[in-house]
Amino acid sequence: MSGDYTLFPGCMIPLRYPQIETAARKCLPAVGIGLEEYPGFTCCPEPWTVKGTGLEEWLAVAMRNLAVGENSGRDLLVLCNGCYSTLREASHILSVNPEAAKAAEKKLSGLKVSYKGKVEVRHVASVLAGIGPEKIAKSVKRPLEGLKVAVHHGCHLLRPSSVMEFDDPFEPSILEDLVAALGAEAVRYEGYTDCCGRALNDVNAGLAMAEEKVRAMEEAGADCLALVCPACFEQFDLGQVEMKRHLKKEHHLPAFHYCQLLALAQGEDPDALGLSRHKIKVKPLHRKLGL
Amino acid sequence: MLKVDPGFKATLSTVESAGELSYCYQCSSCVAECPAAQRFPEFNPREIVLASLLGVAEYLTAEGSVIWQCATCYNCYERCPQGTHPVEVITALKNIAFDSGNAPENVSSLREAVMEHGTVIAPSDTIRKRRDELGLPELPDAPAEDMKKIMGRGGG
Ligand code: SF4
Ligand code: SF4
Repeated sequence: MSGDYTLFPGCMIPLRYPQIETAARKCLPAVGIGLEEYPGFTCCPEPWTVKGTGLEEWLAVAMRNLAVGENSGRDLLVLCNGCYSTLREASHILSVNPEAAKAAEKKLSGLKVSYKGKVEVRHVASVLAGIGPEKIAKSVKRPLEGLKVAVHHGCHLLRPSSVMEFDDPFEPSILEDLVAALGAEAVRYEGYTDCCGRALNDVNAGLAMAEEKVRAMEEAGADCLALVCPACFEQFDLGQVEMKRHLKKEHHLPAFHYCQLLALAQGEDPDALGLSRHKIKVKPLHRKLGL
Repeated sequence: MLKVDPGFKATLSTVESAGELSYCYQCSSCVAECPAAQRFPEFNPREIVLASLLGVAEYLTAEGSVIWQCATCYNCYERCPQGTHPVEVITALKNIAFDSGNAPENVSSLREAVMEHGTVIAPSDTIRKRRDELGLPELPDAPAEDMKKIMGRGGG
């Protein structure tokens, strides 16, 4: 499972939350995953708004990205559930729906794109799961002993399960095992596979969904939450600021991309990881993090 | 007056499996765990499928339609015993709404951003600087000109 992957950067991580990319680049080589650059990728495209404006062009843009990835000669690794959803679903559609594939090809006719269906799209969570908790635990230098972590999977990592092929769509546990590998304790909470609410066009209704989750996490005794998607990250990090403003509900539960927790457990410095950029301050956790 | 359009079903995109909607037997398995239905009484995936099937879906593709409250959580996709995939019917409806000029402004503007920058977020000097501080490689170039060829009207 270890080996080299081409990093599919997406939009939100490189352009808004680059600290997540830093964490990934620091923590993955330590468990045998190499990340290579490759030029020419665009937005995946984003699977709840841009997809809603036109499925054919959504598929065509995704097909182009898959073709670029295929040219790189390595499988693609994503750090985002949105990219995972789009690229995996697109590659599935292209293999089972020849009519849709033809329509996408037509849209790409002005470009030099050849896609043979040979590239696999992997989420960092699934690559890490393949490496396994034992090997990940071996890379840990500063165990997150005593830290209680609520895991938020994010819908598009899990569903549709036949296409995402990560874990059980309603009773997943793999990410929790990966959290436990860091010496932390994964805490289950009510509604742990529920959606973060990010995609609702009514922002406050979406925030209310996230707020319900944060409350359940706190009730279960969580010190922080772990997720594997920059959109979920924004919904929970910036989201807690907005909950206070718009819903008059106050929470202070720091959010981490799993790669950030892994990098911390491997002994990386929180400043070098850019954690001070998080809206919900990480500092109060420093003692528990052994810092 | 309710307008019935018997040909409506055929106008739904078949890129995903929205075409399977005739198999729906109205069991409501998709409704129980739908977070949008819990928050918006007028949002009901079973009814959305039925309205699309019967061709009485004009209200769903009109401006301000409730379909834009779908969380795209795919609970309905997993729970539907008939392979109807209500979320995909909803996406196909969104496409029709967009083509009729009825998509919310924030949705269309993300599409515009992809055409203009190749990404949904515009690159800025601030982010370049921050990446530099974080020891990251330079921002990769996202070929917006290709996006214009694919997505620009008249293309394809
Ligand atoms: S879409 Fe599926 S789950 Fe929903 S009512 Fe129809 S058959 Fe039942
Ligand atoms: S994907 Fe949309 S329609 Fe389906 S259960 Fe989730 S919110 Fe409801």
